[in-house]
Amino acid sequence: MEDPVKILEKWISAESYIVVGKDISRVDALDKIFGRAMFTEDYFVDYMIGNALFIKQVLSTYPHAKIKGIDYKKALEVPGVVRVITAHDIPGENQVGYAIPDQPLLAEGKIRYPGEVIALIAAVDFEKAFKASEEVLVHYEPLPYVLDPLEAMRRNDILVHDERGSNIAFTTRVRKGNIEEGFSKAHVIVENEYRLHHQEHAYLETEAALAIPESEGRVTVIGTIQYPHLGQRIVSRVLGVPASRVKIVAPYIGGGFGGKDDEGPLVCAKAALVAYLTGKPAFLIYSREDSIRIHPKREAAIIRYKSGADVNGKLTAIDVTIIHDTGAYANRAPFILWRATMHASGSYEVPHAKVDGYAVYTNKVYQGSFRGFGNLSIQFAAERQMDLLAERLGLDPVEFRLRNILKEGSYTITNQLLDHSVGVAETLKKVAENADWWKKREEYKKFNEASQRFKRGIGVAIGWHGISTSRAVPDWSNAYVKVELDGSVVVYTGIVEMGQGSPVSSHAQIVAEALGVPLEFIRVVQGSTEAPDSGATHASRGTGIGGIGVLVAATKIRERLTQLASRILNVDPGEIEFRDGRVYWRRNPEMGLSWRELVREAYARGIELSATGYFFLPKGKFDDTIGQGFAYPAYSYIVLIAEVEVDTWTGDIRVLRVYPGLAAGKIINPKQVEGQIEGAVVQAIGYTLMEKLYFDDKGNIVNTNFTDYVIPTAKDIPEIYKPVFVEDKYRYGAFGAKGVGEMAMIPGPASIVNAVAFALGVNITFTPLTPWSVLELIGVLKGRCST
Amino acid sequence: MKVKFILNGKPVELDVDPRETLIDTLRLRLKVKSVKRGCERGECGSCTVLINGNPVVSCILLTIQINGAEITTVEGLVGDILLEKLAKNFIDNGAIQCGFCTPGILLTAYAGIKQGKIKKSEDVKEYVNNLCRCTGYVKIIEAIAKTANEVWGHER
Repeated sequence: MEDPVKILEKWISAESYIVVGKDISRVDALDKIFGRAMFTEDYFVDYMIGNALFIKQVLSTYPHAKIKGIDYKKALEVPGVVRVITAHDIPGENQVGYAIPDQPLLAEGKIRYPGEVIALIAAVDFEKAFKASEEVLVHYEPLPYVLDPLEAMRRNDILVHDERGSNIAFTTRVRKGNIEEGFSKAHVIVENEYRLHHQEHAYLETEAALAIPESEGRVTVIGTIQYPHLGQRIVSRVLGVPASRVKIVAPYIGGGFGGKDDEGPLVCAKAALVAYLTGKPAFLIYSREDSIRIHPKREAAIIRYKSGADVNGKLTAIDVTIIHDTGAYANRAPFILWRATMHASGSYEVPHAKVDGYAVYTNKVYQGSFRGFGNLSIQFAAERQMDLLAERLGLDPVEFRLRNILKEGSYTITNQLLDHSVGVAETLKKVAENADWWKKREEYKKFNEASQRFKRGIGVAIGWHGISTSRAVPDWSNAYVKVELDGSVVVYTGIVEMGQGSPVSSHAQIVAEALGVPLEFIRVVQGSTEAPDSGATHASRGTGIGGIGVLVAATKIRERLTQLASRILNVDPGEIEFRDGRVYWRRNPEMGLSWRELVREAYARGIELSATGYFFLPKGKFDDTIGQGFAYPAYSYIVLIAEVEVDTWTGDIRVLRVYPGLAAGKIINPKQVEGQIEGAVVQAIGYTLMEKLYFDDKGNIVNTNFTDYVIPTAKDIPEIYKPVFVEDKYRYGAFGAKGVGEMAMIPGPASIVNAVAFALGVNITFTPLTPWSVLELIGVLKGRCST
Repeated sequence: MKVKFILNGKPVELDVDPRETLIDTLRLRLKVKSVKRGCERGECGSCTVLINGNPVVSCILLTIQINGAEITTVEGLVGDILLEKLAKNFIDNGAIQCGFCTPGILLTAYAGIKQGKIKKSEDVKEYVNNLCRCTGYVKIIEAIAKTANEVWGHER
């Protein structure tokens, strides 16, 4: 059996599992505890000191300016400086734009945001590189600049990209049914403008790369990157060498959350460029300040949302405009915007929908991937609207959601039929019961009537998130598995471990299930371009999709060994079991042999024990001009109910309790999934209550450190209850798994803000809810501090 | 400048630039890789080491300031009973994700428990102020509280 679809079916329909669905401890835990797990800077520490060059980046200090010249004579005079590299030195192409070819690796002709990289200094130590960076004189001709996306949309006299003739980088649209007809049937209509802000990833490990030149013009780069094969393509383009000469290795990564999907290839390309041009190993590590200034952020969004519902509490129409502050470069803006556009309805049936999306250039740091990928901001708007419509209809928010919720047989606003794997309704019901929703709504109403200073609230929000790439954008799973003569197993994958427990643990778990061998027998070689292109570690796809190739390859090997064991034991191949490092006859487990013996036999008898596993995700057609058709292969769903307490004297909000529920197909490792939910909930609390990037009037980010950009600490966390799992298996996922990593981030802000709005009895259309803005909301302060 | 200290039980003597930070001395000269570079401003705690048993961030400390001190990192606590307990509870409880903050948090918790400053769950939130961006702290707090309970015998 070599057909991947049949292999997937076989595993999804298995009656029981050995290790899948169990709380397996991480295989990398001990190494991480004792500092033995190697992160990028650790490779530098190991063998490069005194041999490698340090790189310092020269950043632009203007938001928008022509570069009239770069004078670095004085920088070269600093002792120990080996080379200064600008756009002119790039041997290949200086073009690294992800979706649109609009972005240079090193600024060329003009700069478009403060923090844009203009030159690279290579010196024998960091101090000398730093000193030299201050001796680089960039002659600017400042240009008028635009920071506000609404202004940028209107103006054609200031263009971030002159050649494009407009600041609108990209547009999207959905047209379903007829919204006039839909709104005419509405009993209540709610209309709001929502404002969502940037978010900094704040992974504790900043971006870094070590590039090592090798023979035959090859280069190896060890770097903080979420998609090594994308890094390989970009490095090869910048250097002008074939991809086969470029090897990228992602070691352990100290947090990614999407940020290292965007910046990873660029940090690798910059280090590779220096190594290639100087012939020496080159190391680049971003300071925290540089990291915050340079790398892309979660999109800031303006969302105009009008929605209506009829007397029966059914949604009739939505009319939505989404404007993303894209910043200086498009990067992934089209994909982020498409995701927002296609998810604009929330996880509900809406018969008539009109959605328009605009990605707009401004002279600020550009937007990129961040856990949720355009979906957090749109679900915030959609889920606020649901609460407001419910209130107008006099319906309970949970009840109103249940009347409209997606189920098997529903059509989305892209008119995609959801034919299976839609467990959201059941999840919502269970989470509401868990949280004692109806009782607490009443309790807190009474509490708030009696309490002057403190107000309590409980709020619900749902997130849905298409897994894999959108529309007909190809997606595949790919891995290589080999069994050594001693029975140990090695897995090769390009999926990277950045904290989520995949692939180092989850892929080992998949192999342990497929071959019945102990986890100690298995090693996962992760994040390497030496593995087949496994796609990126993003979009919550590492285990559910990334794991398919591993499962397929391991199953091919299992099938070959089953045939062999059946011949040796002289029993039916359908009655062979693989378990606990043994292969035996199910009817009489005494009859069998050890895994190791069987492997030796296979080697002796000429049976191939290495295999690749490949699966190309089946997708459908999509019409970009009207946003209709097949949007995603399947959707994961999450429900969060949050309880808050607001101190109306100080404006301080505390999230007290969060109840999560997840419908993400088969849960392969419940403990790791809990960790993903808890981590995302706390990131969402940060986004909703404290995290905000402040820009000055020239587009500089003002708060470039953790004193001024405040992320949650252990003191800020609520009680997070055990999640409810509704295992709505997806037919093309490994064991029926969908995606998990991003999920709790998506409805996190909406659930908290819905609770705060309930507590205070006010409408809230923005984040973050800092103490100042809360005091403004309730009228204690007026116009003292803009939000 | 000459500086002498004890690192994980072994005497070290070095000639360092007076401007050199302890994190650089530890990582770049002594190859102590558990000490992680997160912010270089004393904000995140990833570079925490124990100096005479107390948790201190090594990124804003000059190496010459620790002359004569005893420095401990997780590398020096392999086989230590309290650290092994912490490690076991971290692993069993799923308290590790990317692992970048882990050594620093373990050292902070180690000192807190050893000195009796962490005896129960609420103490963890007061004492452990290292940043973690992955876990949401829930499982970390549980693992540390469980260890403290094993050592100090308080309930919960």
